Formats: sequence, structure tokens, C-alpha cells
Amino acid sequence: MHILEVNNLKKVYTTRFGGNKVQALSNVSFSVEKGEYVAIMGESGSGKTTLLNILAALDKPTSGEVLLNGKNIGEIKEKEISAFRRDNLGFVFQDFNLLDTFSIQDNIFLPLVLAGETHLEMNKRLLPIARQLEITPILGKYPYEVSGGEKQRAAVARALITRPQLVLADEPTGALDSRATAALLKLFTEINDQGQTILMVTHSIQAASHGKRVLFIKDGEVFHQLYRTSLSTQEMYQRISDTLTTIATGGERRA
Amino acid sequence: MPRFFYQTLALNNLKKNSQTYRAYLLTCIGTICMYFVLHSISVNQALNEISGGAQLKILLFFGVIVIGIFSTIFLLYTNSFLIKRRKKEFGLFNILGMEKRHLAKVMFWENLFTALFGLTVGIVSGMILSKLMFLVLLKLIAFKVPLAFEIPFSSISTSVALFGGIFALSLLYNLGQIQLAKPIELLRGEQVGEREPRTKWLLILLGTVTLGLGYTIALTTESPLQAFSRFFGAVLLVMVGTYCLFTAGSVGVLKLLRRNKNYYYQPRHFTAVSGLLFRMKQNAVGLANICILSTAVLVTLSTTFALYVGVEDQLRNRFPRSIDIVVYDVENTDMGELRAHVFPILERHAVQPQELLDFRNLTITVAQEGDSFLVGREYFSDFSPNVGFLSFLTLADYQKIVNKPLALQEDEVIICSDTNYPYETLTVLEQTFTVKEQGTPFTGQGYLDSFNSYFVIVKDLEILGELHKAQAKVYGENASSFTHYLGFELESTPQQQLDIYKEIRASIANPAVDINSRAAERDSFYMLYGGLFFIGIFLGTLFLMGTVLIIYYKQITEGYDDQKRFVIMQQVGMDQAEVKRTIRSQVLMVFFLPLVTAGIHVLFAFKMISKLLGVFNLTNIALFAWCCVGTFIVFGLFYGLVYACTARVYYKIVSV
Ligand SMILES: Nc1ncnc2c1ncn2[C@@H]1O[C@H](COP(=O)(O)OP(=O)(O)O)[C@@H](O)[C@H]1O
Ligand SMILES: [Mg+2]
Repeated sequence: MHILEVNNLKKVYTTRFGGNKVQALSNVSFSVEKGEYVAIMGESGSGKTTLLNILAALDKPTSGEVLLNGKNIGEIKEKEISAFRRDNLGFVFQDFNLLDTFSIQDNIFLPLVLAGETHLEMNKRLLPIARQLEITPILGKYPYEVSGGEKQRAAVARALITRPQLVLADEPTGALDSRATAALLKLFTEINDQGQTILMVTHSIQAASHGKRVLFIKDGEVFHQLYRTSLSTQEMYQRISDTLTTIATGGERRA
Repeated sequence: MPRFFYQTLALNNLKKNSQTYRAYLLTCIGTICMYFVLHSISVNQALNEISGGAQLKILLFFGVIVIGIFSTIFLLYTNSFLIKRRKKEFGLFNILGMEKRHLAKVMFWENLFTALFGLTVGIVSGMILSKLMFLVLLKLIAFKVPLAFEIPFSSISTSVALFGGIFALSLLYNLGQIQLAKPIELLRGEQVGEREPRTKWLLILLGTVTLGLGYTIALTTESPLQAFSRFFGAVLLVMVGTYCLFTAGSVGVLKLLRRNKNYYYQPRHFTAVSGLLFRMKQNAVGLANICILSTAVLVTLSTTFALYVGVEDQLRNRFPRSIDIVVYDVENTDMGELRAHVFPILERHAVQPQELLDFRNLTITVAQEGDSFLVGREYFSDFSPNVGFLSFLTLADYQKIVNKPLALQEDEVIICSDTNYPYETLTVLEQTFTVKEQGTPFTGQGYLDSFNSYFVIVKDLEILGELHKAQAKVYGENASSFTHYLGFELESTPQQQLDIYKEIRASIANPAVDINSRAAERDSFYMLYGGLFFIGIFLGTLFLMGTVLIIYYKQITEGYDDQKRFVIMQQVGMDQAEVKRTIRSQVLMVFFLPLVTAGIHVLFAFKMISKLLGVFNLTNIALFAWCCVGTFIVFGLFYGLVYACTARVYYKIVSV
């Protein structure tokens, strides 16, 4: 069974005063298998964030449906939606979204605290994750005291600590320098190798080239997809570049 | 570079930031205006002519100091808030190629424009308002003689000096902020402020000690004079304590809570404790300000209202009889002479003297230590708590007052006072008397009621004479002599009482005779207490304005800061209602903390203030208590209203 199934998603934004309508997604369908690492590529403004927000039930689609483990997230009651999100999804954002009122450790604990876990259990889960993400030394620090790369690793830890079905990442490398980017992407590959399903949206070729599958969206639709199969990251990079050139020059749709 | 480049840029900057700067300017104008008005009234020459004007001026001067302190703290605080918000903007300028010294120039012009505008508008509106306020004051207490009000030049110069100084300090602070920061830090400006607050144990200690000391002073104040001399010190101590504990103490407590893992890591407490920790860090000074201001509002309004309401009581306390005559330095033993002089005047006006008090007494300043009363300057300073008076009367005079036959031995006394005298003996000037009974308290020479003082009834003139000699030896030149007190109630119109009073006055030329008429003093009492009440309303309103401004500012800041947190918390899996609830409870707690603390301050200050009111002859403690309760309720309602209004602004910002 697919872990995630997206069928004919459409999203039209109506501006506050009614007038203009922006069609962010026109017809998006795809699915994700357990253990996959999917990158969704698209230019800025192509609707990537919109898509992620809908997947996370932070926003509602105009039409279409999202099934997580076969369950239609549109049918989850408003009251249960937070708990659902907490239990099933982990988020990594471009600008980290750590709370400045919490230490790094408490930021990571936040979803567990909200879920009512005991302090003991929290610590038990944190230790291996912190070790793997190499953030053990900064656990006691505050977000403003650590680098962007460290912040993003803390955000990853926060996403992983609930052992989610699916990790959603929105331009996770967008605010990082090249070294931190490389480290984070390596980390994503690593946790994916350990079985974690990841869905990442990005406009960075470098980031996308780490995915096992790359979807391209354009004009609000999935335009094309690439499978990594046995390609190296280097070769993948090349393939993605070529595809983007094709898309930019108005190449034909090969989805 | 074009001419007036920096000036234009500075003006544009002010315009661009008008949403926050408008409130800042308003605050500048408001505080300058408040200060100016209060100062101009406090130095007003006309007040010298009112009886009781000196006390009024002391109080006003106290108000001026409080407003000065408050303005300084508040304006500096508002300024630092604004500059923090603008750091990003400066970072951008800096990166776009403006050097720091250029930024400094822009900063200078901005501050200068703000200062000029604030001072001009503040002082001009102050001039208009002070005149108006003075007229209102005259009207309110029905001055028969209109008092002149001139705008004192000194008010202009002090206002300019004080607020010019504050603006200069703000500028220095802003320049320091720019100078110290690296461009990248400027760009991150707002986040840099989010430093985890440290627990400052020294401040907590200082705060606890000062607050404790202030409270102790307030609680151990026993006499009005003592209260008068200690009040300012106690207020300063409590203010310092409040600032320290709001800033450091709150952080300390929250950190202790955070250390308790089982408590901290629960959904409710988790966000609340950490949220409050940061709120306190950012808001502590503002909250302490609100607390101090609220306390000031409560104290000024309740005291002045109580004084105004109880003015007839005070009049009666101060002048227990319609007319009283005190003859000092009585040498002769003929008590009839004064009566023979005064009563024919009453007869001519066809009125009978009633509730007659007619006695000779010897009043000695003493320091009480249990049942022994020490005589001699070395035993007390003017303001020591145990200082008081013993007023000796003969049994013969006392019998006339209480109208019943009594007997006393040579070594026996009767003690009359509102204050209970729990001892069986009384030792003074090396003589020990047995207290035969506690007599009926009676009034006479009103000031005696304000202190821990006793009327002591001795057997006869001979003993009185011995006491006189004994104290004369100790006090030498400053020794007291016998006085003769004659007081009576008159049932007649105020005008007739005034006529009688004037006639008696005219007929007694001796400067060692003090003649008082309640009717004659009534006007000045109304002037003083009406005036005080006016000032109280005035000060209370000003403080209230300050409170509203701070609360408004707080809500805006909170709003912008919480907006981001609000979104993140939802993403991490907190539901919207829950987020709203936690934020609401935190905001509520933060905003009502100052009010509760202010209430506690007033509670502790109650005893001291009631003693202080004794100086103003207010002894009706229950009345004062009710005024306190009433003020607190009204103020609390108003506070809640302000909170509700500004909270709407807050939720609008947050929920965008
Ligand atoms: N809340 C919104 N209201 C109206 N239009 C929006 C809103 N959010 C996004 N859009 C528009 O939808 C389009 C897709 O935006 P977004 O999903 O943020 O793109 P991406 O993340 O790929 O850069 C853009 O044209 C954007 O202007
Ligand atoms: Mg985006």
C-alpha cells in the first residue's frame, strides 16, 4: 500500500478582497511508497509550499484528496487534526521554525510534550537521534546561539523524534551555506537508508539530486518524474539539469 | 550629497515608522506636559498664601519627583523598544553603503526632531493645561479670592533640562547600539534581543532586601511624624525592590520551575513556563513600571479622596471646640481672668458656651519606654517612634471636665488617652506614680491626638509645680511652662462664630495667646483638602495615562512576537484552540501581575499611610480603608477595560 497518495489536488487562492484568484495547483497526483525519498522540484512560486501545506493538513485543497496510509486526511475532524499531524508527520522548514523561547533540547521535545510523553521516554528517544545528528553538545543552547546548519539539524531531530510515518521538508537547504547543505543532504540520505520516508520540496538541483525519485511541478501540475535507479548523485544532478533545461525551453511533457 | 540629506532622511524615517513612533511622540508630549503642569503648579507662589500650602507644596514636589523618575524610565524604555524594532532597518542602510557615522548623523537628526517636537508641543500644551488646571482647581474648592497663576519660567527651563537630558540619553543609547553592533547583527537585530535571561541572584537578593526593608518600615511605623519622615525612603525601597524582583525574581522563580522536570515537561506548563520566562525578560521593566504606577494611582486617589471626604472630621480633630484659646506661659494662678474676659462677649451675642473645657496644664516632651517616660533631648530625635507628650492636669480641673467627684493620693494619677496605657505605674522625672484608673478621654489641643500622648491627672497644683521645676532643670531654656486652655462649643451660625472670634481676638492683645475658631479655619481646610483631592485626581489620571500607554505598547510588541510562535506551534502539532488558550493565559498573567502586586503594596503601606494621614488630622481609619477598597475596585475595573481593549489589538495582530 502507498504510504501517501495524492489525487487530483487543486488549490485556488482567493485574495482577501475576493478579486484576484491565484491558481497555485491545478491538478496534482502522485504517490509515495514506504521508505521512499522523493524530491519535488519546481521554480519559486510553482506551488511547492502550497502542496506541502495541504499534505500537512495546514491548508485545505479546493478539490482533490490526500490519503495517508489510506486515510483521507480531509475527513479528519478538526479536533483530531493536531494530534494526527503530531503522530504521523514530521516537518523541516526552510527557516527552521524553532521557537526562540526554548532551548534546542526543549524545541526537539516539544511535539512529545504535546503528546503527553514522560520525560524519561523523551530522553530515551532523544539520545540516539542527537548522537546521529551530532547535536548532543548544543542541546542546552538556544536557537540564536547556534549556526544555521545546527538549527536545521535540530529541526530534523524534532521531526524525527515522534517517529513519523512521513517527514515533510520544505526547502530545507534554502537558508544554509554549501557545507551545511551538503551535511544535511547526507543526513537525509542516511535516515532514509534507515527506513524513514521523506518527501522534500526544493528548487535546488543539488538537494533534489539526493532523492531517489524526483517529481517536477510546473503550472500547478506534475510535469515529469525521474527515477534514480542506480545513478550516482553526480549523474542524477546532470539528469535533473537537463530536464530543467528541457522544461524551460518548453519541452514536451513526459510524465 | 544633496543639502539637508540627513535631515530629510531622518524625517522620512520617522514618517515610515509612524505606527510605533506616533505612540512614542504621544508619550513624550504626555510626560512633558504632565511634568510641566505639575511643576508649574508646585512652584506657584500663590500656594504660599494658603494655610497648609507648605504641606501641599511638599506633596506636589514629591509628585514632580515621581513623574520625573517615571518619565525618565519610561521614555528610555520606549526608546530602547523602538530602536530594537529598527535594528534591521539600520543593518540594511549599513549594508547598502551607509557608514556608521552617517547612521549616527541620521540618528542625531531623528532624535533632535523628536525632541524639538515633543518639547514644543509638550510645553505649549502644558502651559494651556496648567492654566486650565489651576482654574479648575480654584473652581473645585471654591476659592473666594482668585489666585494668580503665572507660567513660571523655571518650569520651562526644568522641563527642557530634564527632558532634553532624557532625549540626549536616548540618543547616546541609540548611538551605542549602532556603534557596538556588526551589520549582520543589526540585520538580525530583533532576534539578538531574545537572549536567554540569566538568573541574577544578586538582584534577587537586593530586591528581596529592599522590598522587605520597605515593607518592614511601613509596618513598624508607629507615629505620624515618623511616617512623614520615612515615607519617601520606604517608597524608594519598595520601588527598587519591585524593579529588582520583577526583572530578576520572576526569572528566578520560572527557572526553578523549569528545573523541576516532572512539572516542566507537561503540555500546559511547558509552553507557559518558557513563554513567561521570555515575556518576563522583555516585559519586566514595563511591568514594574505599570506596577509602580498602579500603586501610585491607588495611593494618591485613595488618600486624597479620604482626606477630602473626611474634611469635617479633620477639622473637628484639629479644632475640637468651636473656639479655643490657649494661653502660654501662665504664671498666675488665677484661672478666672480669661473666662471673665471672654464670657461677657458671648453674653453680648446671646450664646451659651457648651462642652466647656477649662484647664491649666503642663505639657512635657518625653520618650516612652514602657511605663517610664524619659525626659531630655538625648533620649530622642524628633522623629523617633517613642516620642510623645505627657500633659499634666490637676484633679480639680479634671473634675470640672468629667463632672464627677474623684479623689487622688499624692502618688496616684489618672491617665486619659485614646491610646491604651497597660501599665500600673508611671515614672517620670524620677517620680513614680501609681495609675489609679484610666480616665475618660477628652480632647483639647487637637495636635495631642496625633501622637502617642497622654493626659495625666495629678492630685494638685503643688505636684504640678514640682514637675514643672524638675523638667525646667532638664530642658533649661527649652522648658515648657503652664498653659491655660479654654475651649467651648457654640450653637450659632458660622458668621456669628466668626464675629465672636474676631471680637475675642481684638480684645486680647497678648502674643502668647493662641485663639482658634473652627469656623475661621474651615475655609483653609477645604482649600487644603480640596486642593489635595484635586491633585490626587490629577496625578492619578496622569499615572493612569502612563499605565494605558505602557499596556498598549506591550500588547503590540507581544502581538508581533507571538505571531511567529503561534504559527510554529501549530505546525509542530498544537491545535489552534490550545495555542490561543496558552497565549491568553500567559498574557493575562503578565498583565494582571502588576495589578495584584500593586494591591499588595497598598496593603503593606496601609498602616504607614494611615499614620501619615494623622499629620493631616485624619484619624478615621475605616473611612480610609473604604476609600482604598473603592479605589482598588474602580481602578481594577478600568485596568480590565484597558486590557480588554488593547487585547483586541493584540489578537488582531496575532491572528493575521
Ligand atoms: N496565502 C496565499 N494567498 C494567495 N496566494 C498565495 C498564497 N500562498 C501562496 N500564494 C500564491 O500561490 C503560488 C504558489 O506559492 P507557493 O506554494 O508558496 O510557491 P513555492 O513554495 O513553490 O515558491 C504563488 O503564486 C503565490 O503567490
Ligand atoms: Mg515555498
